[in-house]
Amino acid sequence: MLNNDTQLEAQWLQRLQQNDEQALAAIMRKYYTALYNYGARFTSDDALIKDCIQEVFISLWQRRENAASILSPRYYLLRAVKNKVLKSLHQHTIKTGSFEPGEAYDFLQELSVETLIIDKQLSDEQAMVLRKTMSQLSKRQHELIYLKFYQHLDHAQIAGLMNLSRQSVYNLLHETIQKLRSLWQAELFNQ
Amino acid sequence: MKDFRLYDISDFVIDEDFIRWVHEQREEDSLFWNGWLQQHPDKHLVIATARRIVESIQFKQTAIDGQTVELEVNRLLHTITKEQVKPVSRKGMVISFKRWYAAAAVVLLCATGAWYFFIRNNSIPPFAYTTMVAAKQLIEHVNTSGKPLVLTLPDGSRLTLASGSRVSYAHTFGSADTAKNGVTRDVYLLGEAFFEVTKDPHRPFRVFANEIVTKVLGTSFTVRSFEKDTTIQVTVRTGKVTVYAQAAAASRARSEIILTPNQQLVYERSAQKFQKVLLNNPAMIAPPVAEKTLVYDDAPLDKVFSDLSKAYGINIVFDSDLLKKCTVTADLTNESFYRKLVLICSAIDAHYEVIDGQVVIESSGCK
Repeated sequence: MLNNDTQLEAQWLQRLQQNDEQALAAIMRKYYTALYNYGARFTSDDALIKDCIQEVFISLWQRRENAASILSPRYYLLRAVKNKVLKSLHQHTIKTGSFEPGEAYDFLQELSVETLIIDKQLSDEQAMVLRKTMSQLSKRQHELIYLKFYQHLDHAQIAGLMNLSRQSVYNLLHETIQKLRSLWQAELFNQ
Repeated sequence: MKDFRLYDISDFVIDEDFIRWVHEQREEDSLFWNGWLQQHPDKHLVIATARRIVESIQFKQTAIDGQTVELEVNRLLHTITKEQVKPVSRKGMVISFKRWYAAAAVVLLCATGAWYFFIRNNSIPPFAYTTMVAAKQLIEHVNTSGKPLVLTLPDGSRLTLASGSRVSYAHTFGSADTAKNGVTRDVYLLGEAFFEVTKDPHRPFRVFANEIVTKVLGTSFTVRSFEKDTTIQVTVRTGKVTVYAQAAAASRARSEIILTPNQQLVYERSAQKFQKVLLNNPAMIAPPVAEKTLVYDDAPLDKVFSDLSKAYGINIVFDSDLLKKCTVTADLTNESFYRKLVLICSAIDAHYEVIDGQVVIESSGCK
């Protein structure tokens, strides 16, 4: 299954290199939701996110002669969208006020506990504990687990996207998992 | 091949194959993991814990519908065929975006909450009032008077039926074994009613309102569920109620939502989704004993929040470690709930958000 996906993507990239617009369209269709949701983590400006995604694909089209050398389209696109969104936000705030490039962006959306209460019959007390645990995670930890669990990137790719070393990614991930782990372990043993 | 026997909980949690099993629930994965567990029965607890951790990692996702994606794909194709070589400047892009959008009326569907695990059933049996009532021998009250109608049920509970609404219950109300797990007090509602339920932990009181069921032990609340409405609303004044969808009632993984005072549940009928919100102007459920108690002079913040939380029955979530140095000096006696929050937040340089019927305080702490 995973292999078929990879093969299909390699075909798309090859066709893209041969000036096939429909291949570009196919890649956009496949990744649109993922890219939009990642962009939405840095800004709530719907039009800006959509513009940035457009520009990323336009520049992919402009550089299509090298398209087949892209190993992971998901990683390539996520990285491009993040850079584009942060850059646009930066340009926007230069006009209005101060902006610290780099670390100053907000990782807007939070881990959502309410879906768990709805789906998994989490009790109020458990939800409180989970919410507290989640609120103790830093924004970078949120971004890290989002990339790991929702975008299924590997550690090297996460490191590239977040400007961290692979070791820091591992450490940060480990620390995050430990927090969640102690929470659930206590709960399961008490049952 | 990975040797999962050597894996610890944390190793499973970050393993791609394991995550895929939990997230996507593919058959081939279930086959593999269930087989593996049979061979290694001592790993059940490890796997269960790892599953819980992966399941607890959920983000709010915005669902982008196919139509929006197609519009964006067309926009892209339009740009690259029209401006073959020329790089497109950012300014031009934005203008073209706006003009383009004016022409195409776009409906963006946003879904709060990741519904990955929500199994939608396409053949949902009709839970309309008329079908529920038809098969049963019931006493029905219809309010056509134009004024609210107060009714007393056999168990002493009171019910204020809004105009244009109807309610039914069995002759055997509260005495027959209507549910497998014991005696219940069941009422069927079409329209809107305010319930003041007599406490009786042994006989849960259930309101069937179209697709949803509200279950209580003793409390007061309002249910609004007219046939023509697209939503069903449950509002709690006192006590605690649980709400669940009728379609899910039979399944083991029944999801119940717990509502506390000043919370309102909105059920979107077409999407079969629940959303918990706070009322616009929450009322105090337990007024502070002395008037003086909401007057603070250099009081620790967690005391202020815990007083408010008690007075309104609304959960206030904050990081007590981070905010332990914060103090408040204010008179909050006469302010509305939200005004109180604004005052406190501006004093400690924080802001609040209402998420899932609770208030969440965000702040970087006080020095």
